[in-house]
Amino acid sequence: MTKCPACLVGFAKEDYPGLAEHLVESAGRSDPVHVRWLNQNLTRKKAGVEELIPRLRAFYDLNGASLETWITSHFITRFFGPRPHPFVSALQHPNRSTLLGYVYEHQHFLRQWVRSCAYIMARTDRPEVVRYELDNLSTEYGGFGPERPSHYELLLRMGEALGVDRSVVLATPPLPATARAIECWNDIAMHEHWTAAMAAMHSLELIAHRDLVREGASVHYFDPAILTGREIPDAAKAFLREGYEADVGHSEEALALVGRFSRTLDTVEEVQSTFLRSIDLFDDYLIARLERGESLES
Amino acid sequence: MKVNYEGCAICDSTWGNVWEEVEGQRLFFCCSLCTVQFRGLVDRIKADTGWTHIDDLKIAGDRTGRTCRAQSNASEAEFRFAFNSEGKLRRFARASPEPAKS
Repeated sequence: MTKCPACLVGFAKEDYPGLAEHLVESAGRSDPVHVRWLNQNLTRKKAGVEELIPRLRAFYDLNGASLETWITSHFITRFFGPRPHPFVSALQHPNRSTLLGYVYEHQHFLRQWVRSCAYIMARTDRPEVVRYELDNLSTEYGGFGPERPSHYELLLRMGEALGVDRSVVLATPPLPATARAIECWNDIAMHEHWTAAMAAMHSLELIAHRDLVREGASVHYFDPAILTGREIPDAAKAFLREGYEADVGHSEEALALVGRFSRTLDTVEEVQSTFLRSIDLFDDYLIARLERGESLES
Repeated sequence: MKVNYEGCAICDSTWGNVWEEVEGQRLFFCCSLCTVQFRGLVDRIKADTGWTHIDDLKIAGDRTGRTCRAQSNASEAEFRFAFNSEGKLRRFARASPEPAKS
């Protein structure tokens, strides 16, 4: 099945004429989500259905590579191109407000993370996927006792090290972009195929994958030097280091499972579209982190 | 008001079909979000400069950050700005010395 990468409406497998018609019609209505997708992924110049069909076919073509490689390549283009995402630029050498924006918005993201991964576990029949998600949830949310606190706990400690009590962080509602993204990720986890939901969520862990520079990223998620210098508190180092060390394995293992099962279950195209929808949401969510931080500066 | 793009006044896309009058000029936008962005930018420039109108607005950059050069009568000013995902300005700063009031 093919899906629209902007709204996830379904089409028959390889029905690029149907998808092209839908995109042209939606853009004709000036729908911001569809126009944005076309602008950012295919072309800013208005085109007809016949012109879009081969462009879509080429865009979705894996060109002999794996699905994992296709996903990684598009992720790098979006967040680590010559002009990296503004949050990535800010995180190279983050100030207090950038880190606090991270804390305030990311606690909501991580709470949704648990729900999304739980849906995947509930909807898959593959034991290796359940094992993977359990391990991931333990790292991200549950923790392994006092010696190895969860990523969620480390996030809250980072906020406290920056002078904000966790009760304040936990009582602060998300910004609209974060709330919108969380709602969409919840819908994806509930309604899309579990392989697509896995791709939508775990592809996002590529953001902290420290080897992406080798694969063409212009920068790392943050300058690794901040983990050893004195410019950020130790609690912030502990939080960032955890992602830096865990997300290589998390993203690679998850994408390998997605690649394997999407081939056997014939869900490659819907995985691709759901991933594309998810990185649009993630892009907005990262801006919300910056926006939160900027609001704390004034 | 003159703008530099032939497509959408904010992003130069030629998708979509939104026409709005801004500063006495009928302008093309690819979507309602870009309309909100453009109107917010014009209002902010006028508030920042004290100008009553803008004659010319040239925009450059992309979603990662934009700049613009605005002109009103003989005055000019440059700004750096960025929007949030609702189209509101989340950053706006002067990139050139404060111009003389027109």
